[in-house]
Amino acid sequence: MEIPYYDKERPDTGLYNGKAGIWLFLASEVMLFGALFSAYVLLRVGAEPGTWSMGLMNQWVGAFNTLILIASSATIVMAWVCLKLNDWKGFRKWKWATVVFAFIFLAVKWSYEWPAKFTHYDVTFATNESASKVFTDVLGENFEDQQKSIWERRYDPTKEHAGGVDLKDRPLDGHIVAYIDSNNVEHSIDEAWGIPFWSHAFAWRHDRKNIEKEKDKSIRYDKDGRPVYKQGHYRDTFRDKDIKAIIIVPAHGTWDRESSGDKHASRATVKYAEAKHDGNHANSDAHEHHRITIAREDISRLSSYEPAHSTFFATYYTLTGLHALHVLGGILVMLYHLLPVSRRVYEKNPVQFTNRIEITGLFWHFVDLVWIFLFPILYLF
Amino acid sequence: MSDDHSPEYYKKKFIPLIYLVGGILIAGTIITFAADLMGVFKDFTHAMIFALTVAVVKASAVIYIFMHLKWDINLKTISLTLGCTVIFLIGMMVLTVGSEIDANKPGHAENTWNHVDKPEPTVKPDK
Amino acid sequence: METTTQSETEQNEHGDDHGHGHAEQSFLTKYIFSTDHKVIGIQYGIGSLVFLLIGFILIMGMRWQMAKPDTPVPVLGPILEKVYAHEIALDGEGKTVPIFKDGKITASGYNQFGAMHGTIMVFLAIVPLGFAAFGNYVVPLQIGAPDMCFPRVNMASFWAFFAGCIVMTVSFFIPGGAAQAGWTSYSPLASVIPTDGQSYWLVGMVLLITSSLLGAVNFIATIIQLRAPGMTWFRLPFFVWAQFVTAFLLLLAFPPLEAAGIMQLMDRVCDTSFFLPSGVFAAGTEPMNVSGGGSPLLWQHLFWFLGHPEVYVLILPAIGMVTEILSNNTRRPIWGYKLMVGGVLVLGFLSFIVWAHHMYLTGMSSKIATFFQTTTMIISIPSVILLTCLFMSLWRGAIRFNTPSMFALAFLPMFGIGGLTGLPLGFNFTDLHLHDSYYVIAHFHYVVAPGTIFALFAGLYYWFPKMTGRRMSEYWGKVHFWGSLIFMNIIFMPMFIQGFAGMSRRMSDGGATYSMINNPDVTSGALTDSIMNMNSLITMGAFGMGLVQVVFIVNFFWSIRNGEKADGDNPWKATTLEWQTPTPPPHGNFLTEPKVYHGPYEYSNPDVDNGEDFLAQNDPHKSTSEDIREAQA
Repeated sequence: MEIPYYDKERPDTGLYNGKAGIWLFLASEVMLFGALFSAYVLLRVGAEPGTWSMGLMNQWVGAFNTLILIASSATIVMAWVCLKLNDWKGFRKWKWATVVFAFIFLAVKWSYEWPAKFTHYDVTFATNESASKVFTDVLGENFEDQQKSIWERRYDPTKEHAGGVDLKDRPLDGHIVAYIDSNNVEHSIDEAWGIPFWSHAFAWRHDRKNIEKEKDKSIRYDKDGRPVYKQGHYRDTFRDKDIKAIIIVPAHGTWDRESSGDKHASRATVKYAEAKHDGNHANSDAHEHHRITIAREDISRLSSYEPAHSTFFATYYTLTGLHALHVLGGILVMLYHLLPVSRRVYEKNPVQFTNRIEITGLFWHFVDLVWIFLFPILYLF
Repeated sequence: MSDDHSPEYYKKKFIPLIYLVGGILIAGTIITFAADLMGVFKDFTHAMIFALTVAVVKASAVIYIFMHLKWDINLKTISLTLGCTVIFLIGMMVLTVGSEIDANKPGHAENTWNHVDKPEPTVKPDK
Repeated sequence: METTTQSETEQNEHGDDHGHGHAEQSFLTKYIFSTDHKVIGIQYGIGSLVFLLIGFILIMGMRWQMAKPDTPVPVLGPILEKVYAHEIALDGEGKTVPIFKDGKITASGYNQFGAMHGTIMVFLAIVPLGFAAFGNYVVPLQIGAPDMCFPRVNMASFWAFFAGCIVMTVSFFIPGGAAQAGWTSYSPLASVIPTDGQSYWLVGMVLLITSSLLGAVNFIATIIQLRAPGMTWFRLPFFVWAQFVTAFLLLLAFPPLEAAGIMQLMDRVCDTSFFLPSGVFAAGTEPMNVSGGGSPLLWQHLFWFLGHPEVYVLILPAIGMVTEILSNNTRRPIWGYKLMVGGVLVLGFLSFIVWAHHMYLTGMSSKIATFFQTTTMIISIPSVILLTCLFMSLWRGAIRFNTPSMFALAFLPMFGIGGLTGLPLGFNFTDLHLHDSYYVIAHFHYVVAPGTIFALFAGLYYWFPKMTGRRMSEYWGKVHFWGSLIFMNIIFMPMFIQGFAGMSRRMSDGGATYSMINNPDVTSGALTDSIMNMNSLITMGAFGMGLVQVVFIVNFFWSIRNGEKADGDNPWKATTLEWQTPTPPPHGNFLTEPKVYHGPYEYSNPDVDNGEDFLAQNDPHKSTSEDIREAQA
């Protein structure tokens, strides 16, 4: 006996097997992403004032990727319609267009959006005095208003938490270009690290609480003084590399001293510098930038825009990462359907091949659907 | 689609629908984005309602036309599965978030069994 | 012998006809990377039985520690000391000691055994055995399908399960050992625990969940699409209905746990704070270096959103099997078949909105608690309907007391005890007292151990002749049954009393320290001697239980080659389709496509004159009374 209804529809259910399978699979996917959405809502509702760092997102990249994904969703349904009309060339044309769009989506995300975040650092300060000192250095004597508007735009756009948080808890962001070790020798980041931005994010981490942790007896240390288990929670770049101070270039376009408050009235015009710079500052117009030296004692926390930065970025990376994995899976399946062998599969059983394309399309539309919800909640509001 | 339509149907009816839905999606994206850029909404709740309404409209268009549920909705397998999924999803979100909100409400502590040791919610002092 | 040879010949003759076009299969494709649902079912069965044994060995070690705290484990001890040579830090002083020093089970080792016992029993043993193994083998046969809907997805499902098993097993042997945070893996403990076992646990769980999702999609699609002609929805055997609902539970309840697992993995690997609130302390005096802002309750919500439907994933296939076996061995139709189908559907639906009754102690408000308390009480109604229908089916039946039917009969009161003792836990006010005590352990073990596992044993004895063509020994089967029944009750009945007395389930020395047994001056708040002495009784029961299972294991393997030959393809004289095909069924299951004319339980129908007391589903004989019944419906 052969498995029935693999290509034609079962009369009483009106479905062929694959279509029943994909809808069931999509139902489980709805619950998977739905659980993450629930987590997002729950964490956002319970977030403490000034910790939901959504204003740090670059909406233009998000909007661009949304349009790209919409286009790919339209092209893949065109590919399927072409097969229904027995138009093989049209099918290949639209299918390739879908693959290209999907690839652009991933390229923007993985080669630009994420790496730009991984090289972008937030510094918060040990005391209000040290914060005040640094902000004066960055913005000039009367930094209060400009600094407050920048903070509100990023961490409290709806001004729900009137009064905000202490000055020392309002971060300064920018790119680390160099550090000074305990012998007062300055090391440029490139020559010191020489690693790509991917691992860059996890290489720089500091939390003042860790200074006391060095003597914590409940943690095992190896002979080099590194904790043996669960390094991340106790990792500290400053301690491990014996760093005395860091030199940071505040994000261009945000922390410009000469800019007036009016120029920053609209959120869109003042996105941080990632649109203009990558991690390698030596080649850009970094010479005009203000290099700020901040001593280790003045810093309470240093973190790039990595997942551990805040709960917002944790949900952001988890949701978009899982979504990007779905995109990757879709690309692989679509490329499989574009292999030369597919022509023979098509000629052997056109109905079955068309069904496969339909199923791929249903999956792809779901991926698009997820992004339709992700874009407003992660980038905009 | 559940019943096979003629090529004419696809050319005359379905392809224009695809362009229409593509237009709706792009328009929805632009409206949402513009609302954000111009700062139309000052308040989180209204912004969320607006954004999610637009997103639901876009999502429905994708499901109905691109995923051709319009032609498959009378198939019980699909509609029942999706119906159950949506109900369970809403149940999960509402009850999970609801219990979290309810438990955090100020002055609510006496309704729970552990009101004795419940600390006051910590609020950062004004600057 | 004749039957087997005959069917094998027929299989070869029809080898070219059944259309799969691969008459010659190598050993590898036929038995290892097989897409045949029967082979995959047996693979699942072997894997899950092995893990059932491993899970049981873990609990024997724990029971030894509870009965005789800080004494070396007799046989296991020296092995554990060798295998677990790696050291683990003890808090406070920075000293490190081997997890199993001198063959004794330390607190860390006890925690690992406890966490892995729960995980292995639930996710690696009972779900794969009840849902995947029996489901894979029996469901396509019962609905008259040639195979599962997506055979290759089925194979992928098994290999994802296999990979999950490997990861879980390997986690015992990594530095620091396996997961220690309990099978529920509550954060923040699970997020901050310093050893890597928890990360392995999460990776293993993601693989197991993926396997379950692929399996669930496949089961539902198969039952919807591949029913044989004439196999209408209300002619499905109840086992198929139970599997159908189970698959839906897995499909829609498992993804939230997968999401939660991914988030906890992010917490552990990328140091995020999904489940870590601000200022959380771990193993030290300073707050951890995390951003904070997470919610530990989020994990509990997402975990129990799976966790409660998981209870029904464990029990529904068991009820399905018991229904099949009881109907066959009482030789009469199931009482209230449609009522049972309705009940199981309602049960599946409601099981999604009761989860927070596991969380009354988290300080939820009385409004939410009342909601969940109400739904919990409502969900007991369909459970009672199912059990009542099964009891009613026994009425005036001519019961055959063979091994499968005895296990199935014992299932009813055992599951009944488990279910009824659950009611106090469903009420907010009583749960506050009983939560996390041995009462809870006794309650859910009565549901799963003498409940589900008895049904699984019944299923093994019942379908063994279909898989091998031979019966397992009746005599030793009955020894196995009576031994299991007695020892199960010796193990779990005293736990109710211990729980009422206030013994917590989390104490690695069986409560010895808590009861201050070594400090005769202190009397208040202690557990009495009689409560403490039950630990030894339970441990003896557990070891007796292990002894009885040896009988089963020997019987099982001996019978594969030497058991009494089953007479014909249908030794139990059953109606359902899996018995109307050669033994073992050929690739493609049926020689010709079966046509279904009757419902699944046409036993002892006086209208039928086919010379038997049963009417097979594909038997074209007329049954006037059934026609009348169907016309009325």
